Amino acid sequence: MDKFFIFVLIFPLLGFIINLLFGKRIKSEKFIGIFSSAVVLIPFLIAVYFLIYLFSLEPQSRFITLNLLSWIAAGFFNIQFSFLIDPLSLCMVLVVTGVGFLIHWYSIGYMHNDSMFSRFFAYMNLFILSMLILVLADNFLLLFLGWEGVGLCSYLLIGFWYEKKFTGDAAKKAFIVNRIGDFGFMIAMFLIFLNFGTLNISQFLAAIPVSFEFNSGLLVAVSLLLFLGATGKSAQIPLFVWLPDAMAGPTPVSALIHAATMVTAGVYLIARCSLLYVYSPITTNIVLIIGIFTALIAAVIAAKQNDIKKILAYSTISQLGFMFVALGTFTYWLAIFHLITHAFFKALLFLGSGSVIHAMSDEQDIRNMGALKDKMKITYYTFLIGALAISGIPPLAGFWSKDEILFKTFLNSGLIFYIVLLGIAFLTAFYMFRLVTLTFYGEPRYAANIHPHESPKSMTIPLLILCGLSVIGGFIGLPHITHLPNFLERFLSVVFDKTETALMMYSQVNKPEVSLEIILLILSVVVALISITYSYKKFSAVKKFKASRGFAKIVENKFYVDEIYDRIIVNPLYFISDKLLWKIFDIKIIDGFINGLADFIKKSGEDWRRIQSGIVQDYALITVSGIIIIIIYLIFF
Amino acid sequence: MLSEFGQIFVFMIIAVILIAFIYVVVRFIAPHKPSRQKSDVYECGEETEGETWIRFNIRFYVIALIFIIFDVEIIFLFPWAVVFREIGFIAYAEMAIFLLILIVGLIYAIAKGDVQWDKPEPVIPKLERQLFSAKPDINKKDNQY
Amino acid sequence: MQNLILYSLSNFIPETILVVTIIVCIIADLIIRKKSFAVTFVAIVGLVLSFVFVVKQWGLSMSIFSGMLAIDNYAVFFKLLFIISTLFILLFVETSKEMKTASHKNEHVYLILSLTTGAYLMASSVNLIMMYISLEMVSLTSYILAGYLKKDKRSTEAAIKYIIYGAASSGIMLYGMTLIYGYTATMNINEIFLYLSKNPITDTPVLLASVIMISAGFGYKISSVPFHFWTPDVYEGAPIPITAFLAVTSSAAGFSVLVRFFLVGFANTEIITAVKWQEVIIVFSIASMIIGNFVAVWQTSLKRLLAYSSIAQSGYILLGLAVVNSAGLFAVILYLSAYLFMNLGAFYVTILIHNKLGTDNMDEMDGLGYRSPFIGVTMAVFMFSLAGIPATVGFIGKFYIFSALINTNSPNLTWLAVVGLLNSVVSLFFYVKVLKHMFLNKPEKPLPELDYGYANILITLLLAVPTILFGLYFTPLLRLAENSIKIFGLN
Repeated sequence: MDKFFIFVLIFPLLGFIINLLFGKRIKSEKFIGIFSSAVVLIPFLIAVYFLIYLFSLEPQSRFITLNLLSWIAAGFFNIQFSFLIDPLSLCMVLVVTGVGFLIHWYSIGYMHNDSMFSRFFAYMNLFILSMLILVLADNFLLLFLGWEGVGLCSYLLIGFWYEKKFTGDAAKKAFIVNRIGDFGFMIAMFLIFLNFGTLNISQFLAAIPVSFEFNSGLLVAVSLLLFLGATGKSAQIPLFVWLPDAMAGPTPVSALIHAATMVTAGVYLIARCSLLYVYSPITTNIVLIIGIFTALIAAVIAAKQNDIKKILAYSTISQLGFMFVALGTFTYWLAIFHLITHAFFKALLFLGSGSVIHAMSDEQDIRNMGALKDKMKITYYTFLIGALAISGIPPLAGFWSKDEILFKTFLNSGLIFYIVLLGIAFLTAFYMFRLVTLTFYGEPRYAANIHPHESPKSMTIPLLILCGLSVIGGFIGLPHITHLPNFLERFLSVVFDKTETALMMYSQVNKPEVSLEIILLILSVVVALISITYSYKKFSAVKKFKASRGFAKIVENKFYVDEIYDRIIVNPLYFISDKLLWKIFDIKIIDGFINGLADFIKKSGEDWRRIQSGIVQDYALITVSGIIIIIIYLIFF
Repeated sequence: MLSEFGQIFVFMIIAVILIAFIYVVVRFIAPHKPSRQKSDVYECGEETEGETWIRFNIRFYVIALIFIIFDVEIIFLFPWAVVFREIGFIAYAEMAIFLLILIVGLIYAIAKGDVQWDKPEPVIPKLERQLFSAKPDINKKDNQY
Repeated sequence: MQNLILYSLSNFIPETILVVTIIVCIIADLIIRKKSFAVTFVAIVGLVLSFVFVVKQWGLSMSIFSGMLAIDNYAVFFKLLFIISTLFILLFVETSKEMKTASHKNEHVYLILSLTTGAYLMASSVNLIMMYISLEMVSLTSYILAGYLKKDKRSTEAAIKYIIYGAASSGIMLYGMTLIYGYTATMNINEIFLYLSKNPITDTPVLLASVIMISAGFGYKISSVPFHFWTPDVYEGAPIPITAFLAVTSSAAGFSVLVRFFLVGFANTEIITAVKWQEVIIVFSIASMIIGNFVAVWQTSLKRLLAYSSIAQSGYILLGLAVVNSAGLFAVILYLSAYLFMNLGAFYVTILIHNKLGTDNMDEMDGLGYRSPFIGVTMAVFMFSLAGIPATVGFIGKFYIFSALINTNSPNLTWLAVVGLLNSVVSLFFYVKVLKHMFLNKPEKPLPELDYGYANILITLLLAVPTILFGLYFTPLLRLAENSIKIFGLN
């Protein structure tokens, strides 16, 4: 019965192969679209079935290992194609396939009449497959396969419209920046294999409490390196620069890959290895600090951006920062909770922005929009709900997860962190409603020849569904004060119970006080409401946009991070590779050697070639004399 | 002491020396008076006619080959006949199969026209281009090789 | 007596099925009298049936026909390899335009099957006479097949050269066999081994000469230097499907018998020191690699290039034999299974190119990768696999060969691995040259796109997918190879 789960992987694979091979010959967009969405929907249904199945089991036995076949067996280096179905991975599968399906559906309308329609869906299906491998993998190498697979798909889809130069550049940037993270991941894998003799995640984690102390050097190194990988995939400082550029791809791609699923891979990785991070609190502190800084800086930058997708991109980075904060305060289930709600409302926001861009004939600058709320009602209302959700207005999804993060930070890390996070929450509501106000309210500022219109049904229905999820999604993880069951925490607790035990050994966990929690809750709602009102007031009357100066200009230029990276890293590298490595090392030494070798091969080949004269008598003669020479040599020497 | 192979080696050396010896002796003893008739090719006393190296029709070989194949297969019948009584029915079946295969081979050879001496349709040679109609094109490349 | 024959026959079913299929094909050909897929279909059915019975022999270990043939996993492995390659070749012939120009209609089907039958016998023969006869059976059919395009001067020339060279080589081999018989008074290689290991070895020159002469016959089948001379000319002249057949089935058959001859008859440290056959194999191997690779660089015809590449590849396989332990043999088996897919694939792409362009000259292929991306990409897969680039099955083969050499911890064999690796670098040069023509060279004038039928694409994928798949997931190949070599009892 468990083997049945493999269809979760087979269907996307099938979709990829068929779209790739026969996509061009199938002329019907309708068929391709429905087929490609179906191969994502079916895995979702299977996953739902398995969710019910897991619930029917005892909590302790909710771990199913699917050992398909042996992949590499070279001596003691033994890698299995094995997948682990447990509450954590199943949650991820549900998000990936569920949100993935909605975005596939949406893409049918969005990509309508694109010349590479089938290729788009082929890549999307491949992405779903890789992402599923990533979250289901039971060993690091398989996880890495999925990790690289999603990276590849991200590269292909960012550069999907490859006729434009900047899409290609953005794709390359994403790929190269991710390489740095992957480098960390790979070194971590080597270290794990060298010291633990296995790449199996469960075995590796099981070995930690047995033979290591807290903060042991090896564990810190491994956890830091894995975290480096996570910062690459999940766009954290210092590797966050690729994500805003990645918006060059089609909007559904941004929604699926760069908001809902792939960028959360880093969060998933750390949650999966939670025991490792509990055993190296140093790294966990670094995670917390990096997360909080990323959340802050991205939120500040988002407040001064004018491109609708760029704002959402920085918002994504900021929200990912929140997830890392949750990881940094040892509340792993909470990170997953925020991951899920964020997947709902951020996918909603991206798809909504796609709908706007679609309506505005590919205009992305919010300064050239305005007063769209009557032209496209469904998009407006869904977008508004998404914005309220991310700003943390109860009872929408974002409120529950974000507020819990704020509260847990207050408990575990202290007041200063809490205040910073509250500031970020303020900024979040501010930039979101700057976006909403400039886009949907006020006077129309777009050119006269643009006639905004509501998007087709295939686009609005997914919006409505995601909107519904953004409203109710938070109820799976209600805080304790509501005295209602917290489904998610209870469901995930089996995965994290070893972590909890280890955490008890390490430090005292502060018990929450009910009154305090209620105060903080009300405080954050008030902050969000103030911010929304302020933002609406400030931008609803804006008619002209002034060029920013001073600090605002620095922010608008994203703190010049790209320029700084260019100066410090890229240019010196260019210089060294061009002047030293290329002009001297490559051309003089390597090329000289290679060309010399090639010349030698050709020269000597020429001589040997003459033996092949084409006369069969000569051949026989050479053969026989060859035999005689060998015999004589062996007999007499 | 020589091994058996050594003896053979000695034997070979003796053979070579003996033949060389005869050649040398003949060279010294024999009278040397060449004439045209003496150096002619010997063809059972007849006058030789034409070139020695002429092409025979390939069909001689085809027929000869087919003959030899079927002729040699008969050899297998002899050992079979000797042990026939001992082995019994199996031997009979085996030989029947063997002959059946041979018959298929024979039919094949006949069907492909390999035992036919005269080809039914003579191939009349055709001229590829008309003579004197135009100057031969010397620039035209021969595409064969 | 009667029981013995019946017992032998009951274990001789795969071969019997093939022989019956051949006869049925001949009769069908006589009845149909025109080109028809029916004959090929009969052959495919026969091969599949034979496949079933071959698989049933897996795990057996016996000798039949009074010690003429052996039934063991090693033979079964090779028989499976022959069946797969023959099936592919039959499909190749069906889709090749070149073969359609032949004046014969269906003869190729039963000629190909006869060769496969001969190869079966080669893989299982443990008697020198049987080895010789089966080798001749393979050779004679290959001569006819090489000259299959009777009207094509090159094809005929190839056949004549092949037959003359083949006759000379098998003559030498037969002489070597008589010497061995004279020495040991037996033709069975198991008994030869017993004789040599029980009695003190005298007259080493005789043994040396006989071993080298016998390896001349085998070496000619596997086209190893210095018995390779026929290879380029015949490969170039023969129709491409037949060339592919010779390159894969015929040379794999050569390896099957060569390996069995040496590793059953002469695998003993004392015998090796006396007969020095290991050194002979090493010399052949190095010479094959060097000459094959270095001359291939110069070729402009894709078929000739693949011919020299085959010579070089047999050099690599001989390296595995030269190790004389189970790891080496294991690598040989792996390499041969890899060779099956990648070499057939390379030849099939050549057929497809030849179908469209009418030539296999690489200068004519400029820009082909863009005119037909499918051809370009699959060719790249096969070329990289032949060169031994990771993530292809060719890499797995080379990896195990070199690791077998290095794991012996003998400095000489390690040096041999270095020579092999350097040769791999050289080989990359000409394999990539093919791709350079396809992708980097611009054609002189823009040419139309080429597209291929579903059948062509399917056959290519059937070869390309295993080439990559087994490069990533090679455990089944390892299991197969592991089980195939147990009968040798090497350490």
